[in-house]
Order: sequence, then C-alpha cells, then structure tokens
Amino acid sequence: MGRVIRSYEEGDEITTLVKELTQEAINLFEGSAGNTGPSQFTDEHAAKEVLGTEGTVASGRMSLTFAIEMMRRHFGADVFNHTGTVDLRFLRPVRPGDTITFTGKVSGSTKEANGARVSVDIEAKNQRGDTTGVGQGTAIVPNAFLPPED
Amino acid sequence: MAEVDNRTQLDWDALEVGETFEKFEYVLTQEMIDTYRKGVMDPEAGFPTIAHKVDVRQYNAKYTDDGSVNARCAFHCYNSPVAGKRLTVTAWIADKYLRRGKNYIVTEAVSVDEDGRLIDRVITHELKQPSEVGKKWGG
Repeated sequence: MGRVIRSYEEGDEITTLVKELTQEAINLFEGSAGNTGPSQFTDEHAAKEVLGTEGTVASGRMSLTFAIEMMRRHFGADVFNHTGTVDLRFLRPVRPGDTITFTGKVSGSTKEANGARVSVDIEAKNQRGDTTGVGQGTAIVPNAFLPPED
Repeated sequence: MAEVDNRTQLDWDALEVGETFEKFEYVLTQEMIDTYRKGVMDPEAGFPTIAHKVDVRQYNAKYTDDGSVNARCAFHCYNSPVAGKRLTVTAWIADKYLRRGKNYIVTEAVSVDEDGRLIDRVITHELKQPSEVGKKWGG
C-alpha cells in the first residue's frame, strides 16, 4: 500500500453526524457508570426540582461524546483516540425526541513535532435549527502515514 | 436507618482553586463499555469514561450544593481504556468564576490505568445555580 499524505485546508467541512436522542439512550448513558438513582437526566420530577424544566434533559456529556465521534470518524481512531480533543459549550438543552446534527469545519492547523494540529469548529443544532452547542476540536495528524491493511 | 450525610455545604467564596480530592479507583467492566456504546449509539466509542463523570465525583462526595448544570466540557483523548483494568482518577478544582451574577466551578480530572497508561483528561465548567437555566430554557 502506498504512502498517503493528508492535508487539511481551512474551510474544509468534515462529515456531519446526526443523532436521535431517546430517553432510553439517556438512561443507558447514565446507567453505564452505575448511576441508577433519579436525576435531571432520567426523572421528570428530579428535572423539575433541580432545573425547573418540564421534562428530562440529556447530559451535555452526551453531546460531547457525539462531537468526539464525529471527529474520530473523520480523522480515524488511530489518530483521534490518541491525540484528539473536543471542547464544547452547551447553549440549549437537548431533550428526548430531539434530533441533533453535528457539523465541523476546519479552522486552521499548526505545526507540531510529529505532524500538524488540525483545528475544527464544531456546531450542534437541533431539528428546529437552534444551536445547542458550539466548540472546537483538534487532532494531531501525522505528516504521512500508512493506513492499515484491509 | 438512614445514612448520615457528612458532606460539607458548598461555600463558593471559600472554595479553594487547586483543592485536590482523594483519588478515586474503579474497575472498568465490559458491561460498562457495552451499555455506554448502546446509549451513544456508537459501537466503536472508545471513551466510556466520559459517562462516569469522574471529574465531579469526588467533589460530589465531599460537598453538597443545589445541583449543577454542565455549561462547558473539554475532553482530551490519550488512550482508550481497556475492560478489566483498574482506573485511578485524580481530580481537582481547576478554577472558579463569576459570570453574569452566576457562580461556576471548573473541575479537572486525569485517569490512568493500572499499567500506567494515561487514558484521558476532562475539564468541566459547572453552573452552580441550576434553576437559573430552567428559567432561561423556558421550562
């Protein structure tokens, strides 16, 4: 297999990621760490008491996870799972039943000892077009690498 | 018999930036990974530790407050954790700030596995007046 050189230009769009949130998905996310008690994420009464909202909301960490997935799919697990970062601000709640679309656009790159740190502006919007989260992701992409054999 | 809650009520003004909490250890199981991957609908998701909220766990073990809302979160990937390995988490108060009359706390945590592999770093900004967002979000 030949040598592959990858370059990233400012303005390049990365592949969009769409997620449909359900209460079941939220419960699994919360339960995966053994958090089984009622919370603003899993229980309407707790959400009303803590947040004053009429229903549950998804943890911002779920949006963070989805942004990480989008970045990983674009840069590859070999790169992103070792050098990747995502920094996300949560602007609006994500609720069960929402469909969230994550988009990313390359905003620049800087040289690193072992490659280039590529920066991506990230935005998450719900099905109504409201922005639910914004931030930035980065990955250090080797200057040249051999992709794994099929 | 009800358990006694020995936690301290948060005094935001007195909270010291740099306060480091007791280390937290746990074993990451395959079941945790599988459940997490189902929840995030991604069979290749590599960092189930995100859902464990370990950066605020030891804070919540020490302090009690009116709850919180995650305002911002940053995650640094170093190595995906492996099922069956014991993870050790070191967490501390990285910052605190007042913005538009609301109190925020920034916690930071680093996870390392039993072989010394650095797993991840997570930095979370929590708003400590969660009812304020309910008003903003419109119920």
